Amino acid sequence: MNFLEGLINYIAETYTDRLNYFPSNVKTSLLIILFCVIATLEMYIYITFRRLSQANEKRQLDKWNEHVSNMLANLIIFDEADKTEDIVAHFYPKMKKWPLRNKVLNKVLISEILTYHKSFTGQIGEVLSILYRKLGLDKKSKKKINSRNWEVKIEGIREANEMRISEMAAEIIKYTDDENALLRMESQAAYINLSENNPFHFLDRAQERILDWHQVVLFEIITKNKALKIPSFSQWLRSPNDTVVMLCLKLVEHFMQFEAAEEVERLLKHHNPRIVKKSVEIIGKLELASAETSMFEIYFDQPEDVKLEILNSLGKISSGSYENFLMSRIYSGNVKIKKEALYAIKRDQHQGEEKLRELYQQTTVENQALINHVLDSRIKP
Amino acid sequence: MSRILIAEDEVLMLKALEFKLKKDGYQVDVASDGKQAMEKIKQNTYDLILTDIMMPFVGGMEILSYVKNDPVKKITPVLLISAVGLEDVVLEGFRLGAEDFIYKPFNLNELSVRIRRHVKQNNFA
Repeated sequence: MNFLEGLINYIAETYTDRLNYFPSNVKTSLLIILFCVIATLEMYIYITFRRLSQANEKRQLDKWNEHVSNMLANLIIFDEADKTEDIVAHFYPKMKKWPLRNKVLNKVLISEILTYHKSFTGQIGEVLSILYRKLGLDKKSKKKINSRNWEVKIEGIREANEMRISEMAAEIIKYTDDENALLRMESQAAYINLSENNPFHFLDRAQERILDWHQVVLFEIITKNKALKIPSFSQWLRSPNDTVVMLCLKLVEHFMQFEAAEEVERLLKHHNPRIVKKSVEIIGKLELASAETSMFEIYFDQPEDVKLEILNSLGKISSGSYENFLMSRIYSGNVKIKKEALYAIKRDQHQGEEKLRELYQQTTVENQALINHVLDSRIKP
Repeated sequence: MSRILIAEDEVLMLKALEFKLKKDGYQVDVASDGKQAMEKIKQNTYDLILTDIMMPFVGGMEILSYVKNDPVKKITPVLLISAVGLEDVVLEGFRLGAEDFIYKPFNLNELSVRIRRHVKQNNFA
């Protein structure tokens, strides 16, 4: 004990009485040592408190997990004959007694309600939605949406989307053109589901890109949501944002919107070759014979993939007006072009194969080999 | 009392299904992964097996394949639960002998009716 006391006194004196008598380099070293010791002690105190708080949180998490999952499991097995309002009236008072301000409970409750809402259809979804609102969890989601942290915003948007809280659409629209791609994408997906009057309004204001893979996600949402009122997507085909045009072209194609024919034809002169190619593809799919001339006019200025698509579309339309043009293409120096032109000729259901057989007699050996290839029904184009 | 095994790795879903089937009057065993499910299947005889397709260690398809290749257990109806409704997966499930396919999200009451029908058919067989 005396030794320890002596040591502490010695250290204390070193930093009080004797410090001024040391040379400056020793003084600096002693001060650095003091700083390091204090920092280490603070770190240990911080770690201890953090571990205690984590252990406490885990305890609470386990407790509430058990409580909430038991309550919800009981809730979802109600009798088929029970009315929605009766089930809500039975469970709401019990849940209301929980300390809903407790962050851990809130986290668990929201997460479990969302899981059940995602997994089960029918009356359960309705009951869970009502409880979500009655317990004020929608307000928590709104608070998250208005948070400064983008990850929290996304969490709030997902909750609102899953629980179909339509009044949140007005909050979410502002993020649909955010510079953060993840936030932007999540908001657009949610907005389509939540907006009751104008679910495609975000396309009017979209200046940021809609990335390719997100176009796939939006396409899935739009085409699978049966409650959605589908507008004419031609209204966005003049958008200055190429990615909006691209998405709308895909939707025009999927919903076979013939009223967009004129706008699609206009896009053949678009500066973006991907949009031109997609427009050509749609013209072929919708068999828009009126656009044949426009396709012919742009043909020679296009890259190879667009040229191939034009030949393909001319074949699908098969009006006969550009038969000579297709015949001339088989003397191109490019084998892919030759082959596509031959397939286009073959697509004429009435005389296609006959025409190819006639051509076989008059053409080069290389073309004859290609005609044999195209006429072989075992080979798919 | 008919005995049912539920194999599902999602704890909440497992609990909900367990509660529902117990309420419907079945004796219910649960497994939270495919390995546990296999052990229970080997040790016991069930009137129906309800299994998720994607689970840790052993998947629902492997469980199905094991049951349908066992000369004694092959009469046990197996119902597959899946979040993905891919045609290939569904076809593979039926090819291996699954009695039914249920896609998430599903209606719990509808599931209950389907289970009742399969258990009844199995008891008659």
